[in-house]
Amino acid sequence: MRYHKVIVTTAIGALMSTAAAADVLKIGASLPITGGFSIAGQKHKQGYELCVDMINERGGILGREVELIVSDNRSDPATAINQYERFINVDGVEAVYGTFSSRLTFPVASILAKNGFVHPIPAGGALRIYTQGHDNLFYFQPNAAEYVGASLKGIIEDLVPEGEGPMTAAVVSADDFFANAVEAGFLGHEVTNPADGSVVADLAPGYLEGSGIEVTFTEKWPEEGFSDWLNLANSIKRSGAELIIGLTASAEEAVQLTRALKTVRAEPKMVYFSQGTQAEFLEGTGESSDGVLVHTSWHADAPFQSTLGGEEFSNQDFGAAFEAAYGAAPDEDSAIPFAVCQGIEQAIVGAGSTDNAAMGAWLSDRSKDAPVRTILGRFAWDDVGLPVDKPFLMTQWNGGELQFVYPTDEFEGVQEMSYPKGGF
Amino acid sequence: MADALQILILGLALGGVFALMGSGLSLVFGVMRIVNLAHPALIIGGAYVAYWGFKLWGIDPLVMLPVAALILAITGIVLYKLVFEREARSAKYSEMTVLLTFATAMIVEGAIGTAFTNTQRVTSPDYATDAIFIGDIFIPTGQLYAGIVSLAIIGALALFLKYSRFGYAIRATTQNRDAAELLGVNVNLVGMVSFAIGIALAGAAGALVSFVFSFFPAKHWEWIAVLMSLVVLGGMGSILGTVVAAFFLSVIAAFVGAWIGSTWSTMTFFLALFIVLLVRPQGFFGEKPELS
Repeated sequence: MRYHKVIVTTAIGALMSTAAAADVLKIGASLPITGGFSIAGQKHKQGYELCVDMINERGGILGREVELIVSDNRSDPATAINQYERFINVDGVEAVYGTFSSRLTFPVASILAKNGFVHPIPAGGALRIYTQGHDNLFYFQPNAAEYVGASLKGIIEDLVPEGEGPMTAAVVSADDFFANAVEAGFLGHEVTNPADGSVVADLAPGYLEGSGIEVTFTEKWPEEGFSDWLNLANSIKRSGAELIIGLTASAEEAVQLTRALKTVRAEPKMVYFSQGTQAEFLEGTGESSDGVLVHTSWHADAPFQSTLGGEEFSNQDFGAAFEAAYGAAPDEDSAIPFAVCQGIEQAIVGAGSTDNAAMGAWLSDRSKDAPVRTILGRFAWDDVGLPVDKPFLMTQWNGGELQFVYPTDEFEGVQEMSYPKGGF
Repeated sequence: MADALQILILGLALGGVFALMGSGLSLVFGVMRIVNLAHPALIIGGAYVAYWGFKLWGIDPLVMLPVAALILAITGIVLYKLVFEREARSAKYSEMTVLLTFATAMIVEGAIGTAFTNTQRVTSPDYATDAIFIGDIFIPTGQLYAGIVSLAIIGALALFLKYSRFGYAIRATTQNRDAAELLGVNVNLVGMVSFAIGIALAGAAGALVSFVFSFFPAKHWEWIAVLMSLVVLGGMGSILGTVVAAFFLSVIAAFVGAWIGSTWSTMTFFLALFIVLLVRPQGFFGEKPELS
């Protein structure tokens, strides 16, 4: 009799736990927690985890607790592909969050499209990702990387006094998916489809030529293992460029390049980097960061109102929650995945289920008046998955603060840009 | 001409840092036949010691260098006892150590990441981003100091190996482990101490690296191929060879980077590795392997 009771109790317990497990909403994210992208990957993990925890504190999504499954893809594209396959076919996830970097996002996009999953992309700005014919992509940053240069062009035209702008530029770039995309916009290259070589966008004449700036020096460094920063900085200095455009693939490279430019005593009028909003950039460069311009998708002062768990949630609420959870201020590498998580929550609620086709349709139907609302602001997408009417925020380091300087009419709190930069 | 001189200086400056990074690797292989793929990960460990010494207490990384070396030496002894001592007499020891040290590198990376997060770090004493200018030519002080300290440490090691009694024992074990043991050398002790010295060199190199390059736990994967190419070019186990190779390849890489393109500068190390393996497998100063 006693054994009978035990068996019955165990069976009931097992059934209850199965029922509870079945009611859990599993979401998978493959991230580069180790390897070359580990710095950003770790921050993405924090952003996703904080968001999921806060959603669960507010009762979950459609009353269901969310379980986040994060796997470390070691910054390796093949591993990222395998992990998303496993999430879908073994773990039984009902939705996914995207991975970090264009290099990993590009191959993953095909797998998620094949499986009919909505693919929310936190970091994957290269235009060629969006020209593969997938209709499940939703990018959670302002625009494709090729168009970042428009903001710098705008700064030069709108904020630099007439006749005092830089006349020559050095464009140095990591040989990386993302950095190459930004470079293509500045230099006016064609963007081709890697599958068949067809041209998907002709960016001529490029933002620099469009601004009347002559390019006097270009150089690329390899994606990994480059250490000869002083040599590169010396070549930049000797080119006499008044504008230095450093298209780094990571904040770490931005630190190395800045320190090298300081060592060789370069004195450009203006410096723009594609990475460097992170606190680590300031720590590694100190006062040398003053005057450095960096584009960003998120800023702590942006007064964006969003929703989380069905409740109003501001960008400042995010900052406070992040500090409380991790003991440090967030940067865009945590804010962007947080916004992705918000977007997927709203898509599930909007579709009324985790049917990815319905979620995708709901996201595609967003418009300026009925957007997805996140801590990065409002999102609605065009037919390839790029946001519409969403400019990049241009920031500048000054006195140890990352100040928002452009566009000047986006919201209140814009600071005056310092110019010229001069030495490091 | 001024351009060439400047490039030469920058190449030599980088070579000084690489010399110390590769020396420990070479010593450990020479004595123990351990192909230590974890060496760069341990260099990262030394860099973190110097970083936190500077960050928390403002101690110059050059002053933290002996501390980093000591901590890493102790780590080396523990690693040796736990991982490498048991199979030291195996005929397949070198092959086994490739896998063992690969796993060790992953464990060290994970441990450092857990302890210090994956955030990138760099130590910033004033001299790290300063330079001595002579006309248009400049000598970066960070690399200059790192190179001088690096050569001083390698010189001290060379004197120790050449003139101390224990140095004799290490050299004897390097040349022929069995013969050394027959002559009364405690090869187990020599192996452990050599391994500890090699890892201490990693710690010392880490302290220098901390202000020359930025670093994070996974950074070591970018260095292992470069360091291996130095060791192979110099001659596996030859510290002098490693030093010569470090300066030689760094200077060539600097010229390639400046005159051909930065993308190709890193390739210089790998290209050298291929050529050496094809043309002179024993490297600059290594012994030609005998056919058995």
